[in-house]
Amino acid sequence: MEDPTSFGYHGCYLRIDVSQGGVERMPIPEAVLRQFLGGSGLGAWLLLEEGDPSIDPLAPEAPLVFAFSPLVGSPLTTSAKFAVVSKSPLTDRINDSLASSGFAIAGKRCGCDAIVVVGRAAELSVLIIDDGHVRVEGAGDLRGATCPATQTGLKTRLGPDYQIASIGPAGERAVRYATISHDGRHAGRGGSGAVLGSKNVKAIAVRGTQRCEWAHPRELTEYSKSLSKRSFGPATAKYRELGTATNLLTFNRLGALPTRNFQSGTFEGAAEISPEQLRTTHTRTRASCAACTIGCEHIYARGEETGVRLEYESLFALGSLCGVSDPDSVLGASRLCDELGIDTISAGGTIAFAMECVERGWLEEPWLTFGSGEAMLRAIGLIGRREGLGNLLAEGSRRAAETIGHGSIAFAPQVKGLEIPGYEPRALQTMALGFAVGARGADHNRSGAYEVDFSDKVDRRSVTLDAVHRAIETEDKAALMDSLIICKFLRGVFGDFYAEAADMLHRVTGWDTTADELRETARRIVGIKRQFNLMAGWTLDEDTLPERFLNTPLPSDPTAALSREQLGVLVAEYHRQREW
Amino acid sequence: MRVELLGVPRERAGVAELELQADTLGQLLAALVVRFPALNKLITPEGLEPSVVANLNGDRFVRDPHTQLKQSDSVLILSADAGG
Repeated sequence: MEDPTSFGYHGCYLRIDVSQGGVERMPIPEAVLRQFLGGSGLGAWLLLEEGDPSIDPLAPEAPLVFAFSPLVGSPLTTSAKFAVVSKSPLTDRINDSLASSGFAIAGKRCGCDAIVVVGRAAELSVLIIDDGHVRVEGAGDLRGATCPATQTGLKTRLGPDYQIASIGPAGERAVRYATISHDGRHAGRGGSGAVLGSKNVKAIAVRGTQRCEWAHPRELTEYSKSLSKRSFGPATAKYRELGTATNLLTFNRLGALPTRNFQSGTFEGAAEISPEQLRTTHTRTRASCAACTIGCEHIYARGEETGVRLEYESLFALGSLCGVSDPDSVLGASRLCDELGIDTISAGGTIAFAMECVERGWLEEPWLTFGSGEAMLRAIGLIGRREGLGNLLAEGSRRAAETIGHGSIAFAPQVKGLEIPGYEPRALQTMALGFAVGARGADHNRSGAYEVDFSDKVDRRSVTLDAVHRAIETEDKAALMDSLIICKFLRGVFGDFYAEAADMLHRVTGWDTTADELRETARRIVGIKRQFNLMAGWTLDEDTLPERFLNTPLPSDPTAALSREQLGVLVAEYHRQREW
Repeated sequence: MRVELLGVPRERAGVAELELQADTLGQLLAALVVRFPALNKLITPEGLEPSVVANLNGDRFVRDPHTQLKQSDSVLILSADAGG
């Protein structure tokens, strides 16, 4: 019998110490691959294998994991993805951020299923992995360079066949929500860019020739064609035709659009920054990640200027959350975050929090007012350089609140330190539960509980215990999708997702995996993240929301109210059903 | 009653809102397809395609074609997927 890991996997990871430039090729047992698959799951396993969860996430010995997956490199649509997993400098809990495109394919072709980076280079450097051969070169000339400039500069220097993931100035300066950027996409949340920056690594460049074999290539090709065909159907129409930004007007209509630091669920300027309006004043083009047939990226430009990819999360965070209704300010802010390498959600959340502190007289920065696009742009620039007020805001809203005092932590818009995405928790209460219990903090990518709120299964403003198992289902499904890895925008395409996932894995790896086995795998992956957090010091008190959401009904909709007791009951039921 | 279209339904129909008469959600959906044939991929004879959902007055999400409507209702037809 052939070694099963000869299909879909290389069966090893590269452990690179950038202090010395040394590399070890470490085997990954097949049992581990089958238990954790790849992406987030394999990354979490490697993180526990490689490091002490109690470690300072910015210490040289803290591991930073780039995990690929069995599907990377296959003809399956949306499979060109990688996960970046580390302890978060923003939350001090586990962080797994995903990004797409050629880096995943080229990285896996280096002959490994993951890359673990430890140590600290003597100078600002680029880590080069050329078909599995590793070297560390100085990159002092790139100090302060933006993400796009870094990637362009390194392609010129190394050759166009390298795929490059880099940090911007924010990562160099350890902004706690700095991103790792690749080809315009970002491993965005939780500060993985600060972790890479703490290792004095400006970028990782990969290229390779080592392809994996597929167990059943003809059947895989047939299935891939079928999946691609389905990806053109109605289940992905929103992403293809309008992009995620179309959520803005929907959420505003439902009173669930976070506005002025969650002081309202409706924004009077929503129409002005909506994609429906933007496309009347700006040109719009579409793009997609490598190996993707959906094409969800909608890029807006005015005149001859370079376009800006606009997603709902950036639009809400830099628009309604800061009260900004000038579309060019929002687009400019999104572009600036991408250039500096900053997570737009945490940037918007932290700035909106600071704006409210200014309004209350607790922060003497009178220029920083709700509604001022100019102020928002200025604040983002300061954060990226850690200058003046930016040095405080670069710490994120939780740490900023601890410095500002006055009980401002009550309205710092975060859970476990991670700023809340664009879903008002009081108006979407299954999502409120998902935010509260999330391993990496408030997060719409690891829990899809908003799907439950947008259904006829619950009353979204007054959810009951019946919502809990539904929230768990979305969390499990996300864990599996993030480990296979396959894009969540495909989720509506699948009839029985677990059965199809088992089928995909069979065609790629040859494993006789069942749907039930994958359900267990999903739970195991959610569980290992919690295990990391427990070892890092997690306590039950962290599974909650800021005081604002628990003692104040949503001012724009007083029927949207959530008490501490209500949330506590939901959280307790969640833990009971998880058997934790 | 007032019918508001958001997301893909708005894109396909080309209007944001209109007035229609219907006693049930099923009747309303059938009338919408007659008015806007471009909605026929989103609204089938069985009701709403899974990627689309209806909402009454910004409150309750509904899918059942037998759902009774009142003349004073505002019926929202929107993309069911709220992923961002």
